[in-house]
Amino acid sequence: MSSRSSKRSAGTRTLQATACALLLTALLAQRGEAAGAPPALYTPAQAQQGHAVFERHCAVCHGRHLEGGVGPALTGGKFASVKAGFTVQQIFEFLSVDMPADAPGSLTARQYLELMAFLLQQNGYPAGKTTLTARIASGSTVALVYR
Amino acid sequence: MTIIHAPHPRRRLWLGIALAATLAPVAASAGAGYPAVTSARLAKAATDNGWLMFRRDYAGNSYAPFRQINTRNVAGLTLAWSYRIGMKQGFESSPIVNGRYLFVTTPLDHLIAFDAVTGKVLWTYAKNLADTGLKTVCCDVVNRGVALYGDNVYMATLDNYVVALNARTGKVVWQKQLEPADVGYAMTLAPLALKGMVIVGTSGGEYGARDFVEALDARTGRELWRTYSTPAPGQPGGNTWPKGMYKTGGGSTWLTGTYDASTNTLLWGVGNPGPWLATLRPGKNLYTDSVEALNPATGRRKWYYQYTPHDSWDYDGVNTPVITSLTYHGKRYQAIIHADRNGWLYAINLRTHKLIYAVRFAHATSVAGFKDGLPYTNNALRPTLTRQVFTCPSFLGGKNWWPVSVDPRTHMVYVPTIHTCMTMKGAPSFYKAGLPYLGETFKVVHDPLDHNWGALQAFDIDTGTRVWDHESKLPWDAGAMSTAGGLVFSGTVNGHLLAFDARTGRVLWRSPTLASGIIAPPVTYRVGDRQYVAILAGYGGGVPIWGGQMVKAVAHVPRGGELYVFSLK
Ligand code: HEC
Repeated sequence: MSSRSSKRSAGTRTLQATACALLLTALLAQRGEAAGAPPALYTPAQAQQGHAVFERHCAVCHGRHLEGGVGPALTGGKFASVKAGFTVQQIFEFLSVDMPADAPGSLTARQYLELMAFLLQQNGYPAGKTTLTARIASGSTVALVYR
Repeated sequence: MTIIHAPHPRRRLWLGIALAATLAPVAASAGAGYPAVTSARLAKAATDNGWLMFRRDYAGNSYAPFRQINTRNVAGLTLAWSYRIGMKQGFESSPIVNGRYLFVTTPLDHLIAFDAVTGKVLWTYAKNLADTGLKTVCCDVVNRGVALYGDNVYMATLDNYVVALNARTGKVVWQKQLEPADVGYAMTLAPLALKGMVIVGTSGGEYGARDFVEALDARTGRELWRTYSTPAPGQPGGNTWPKGMYKTGGGSTWLTGTYDASTNTLLWGVGNPGPWLATLRPGKNLYTDSVEALNPATGRRKWYYQYTPHDSWDYDGVNTPVITSLTYHGKRYQAIIHADRNGWLYAINLRTHKLIYAVRFAHATSVAGFKDGLPYTNNALRPTLTRQVFTCPSFLGGKNWWPVSVDPRTHMVYVPTIHTCMTMKGAPSFYKAGLPYLGETFKVVHDPLDHNWGALQAFDIDTGTRVWDHESKLPWDAGAMSTAGGLVFSGTVNGHLLAFDARTGRVLWRSPTLASGIIAPPVTYRVGDRQYVAILAGYGGGVPIWGGQMVKAVAHVPRGGELYVFSLK
């Protein structure tokens, strides 16, 4: 969408904006059909923190690149497959209670949220302005499908 | 697809003596002939020159009547050959030997056939796991070995296939998937070949699977019967579960069973109920944490004995039920000897199915004692959503799967042991296929009574008393094997295969440091006039994942699988 509209009338701009919005909506809808239109559930800072926590507490079993080791891969089509049918809520509630395997539940609530943000990022979900909170994560029926 | 990282067997110069190449007889090679494995040979596997099944014979003693290697000369044991496999996950497989063929499985379901004398690789096979997420595999991507019948070798895989291969060529004869992968079930055990059948069990007690024992036609893979561990309403035991919960009740059957020919009974250990938190499923939760006695023709349950009622501590009852005779208080019994995860050593009368005795072999508080021959638990040590408990042993058990050996000459059972306790507390849980279903959090810690992480112990099976105890700073997570040479073999986490004097526990031989720690059971076999001892090194398995405080103690252990075969000079 061009932003070089300063010379055009307000009316044209409005029209244009509306068209843009419509087009965007249509595009999103299309993508949504194909892949479930991922909402932005976390902030970039959360994912970045999550990366650090992951390296410290998870990588030893799941691999530095989440490729899997003694624990399963945590990115890609084998992890978040359509067939597996995971939701954000399920993965969050599982990992915040049962992981890391050698000390389940031992991290802080904040770290678990950051890890969830990192997993979302690594599976193709966009970052945004909203901070992922425990309320959002444990109520989220958003499908977790690698994209 | 083969990702075995070593093209050639690697031989070593140990103690300055070049061995393998010079000592290997150059006569007949393995390719020359594969002796068919008949039911008659399997029935007499105890005295066979090879090592034909998981625990050597149907009784599961893992005792070989060979005496070439014995207490007097074991100090001279040296390397015959070795083979570097690589792969950094755990190696839990028992080498299986028939004639000059030796078969081992590796992590991620590869199978390698060797010439048992020279170490030459005859063929390799790798199950294609490319589409498997390995999601519902709790305790490392292990495999515990093969079964032999006729001209075939059989393995069970992480994606729930039973694969039959031609033992000479490695060509797949048939394969059959029993359940889809990644939704609860996985298979890691060595199958059992019996009466023309291949019998397997499933893992999945941590994922709300409904586990089972299944028999397949050894020639075709056709299902002959399947017996679920958790009964449906209306079936015997069905009323020991709250409504519908048998469907996600676990009862995994992840270790190979034994077979008693005198009563024609298949004995199979059953694992923990799911979810772990017992308050979610009031009742005895049959037939979890039990030994079940099945009719091998039909799979019908004849009887059972439950080691841990209404378990809330993940005390799988899967450990090998060894069939042996013993004399207790002057009376002779045909008995099952079983060292349970819950820390108790059980002797069970094979005729009456009643307890003969039970003694603690590890610090055990959750199961507090026995009344009228049945175990009772300390209910104050049951976790709830609001109560954290401290109890012993940890869910990893007084021992985990590492099999015991029973020596009929010393009348002792040799028990790999770990000394751990744990904190445990209930936690919110939900069932979702493909995710764990536990309902508890936990932390494995030191046993306050014994700050060593492990031991190999000997108990007199006639009295239930401890005869010797070889303590170890590190956990003892390798299986045991005994021989008529008066020896017990087992391996250590820091990479030594040890030979003990079976009567006294004195260490008579210690291998040089192997490439990695040992979690597999050793085996022994004879080819021609020579006796060999074989062991896989390759650390991994459940302890370094779930071991809590113990994880640190084993974190330094080098990884990478290698097969070692020893003999006398
Ligand atoms: C000591 C090894 C170990 C560590 C450390 C560990 N995990 Fe795991 N994880 C496992 C194993 C093994 C599984 C397989 C399921 C099971 O049995 O719990 C698993 C399963 C999972 C799953 C479910 C995957 C699926 O497809 O079902 C997620 C998500 C997960 N872990 C996240 C984490 C995160 C996040 C961390 C870091 C806080 C972590 N894990 C640390 C071993 C580990």
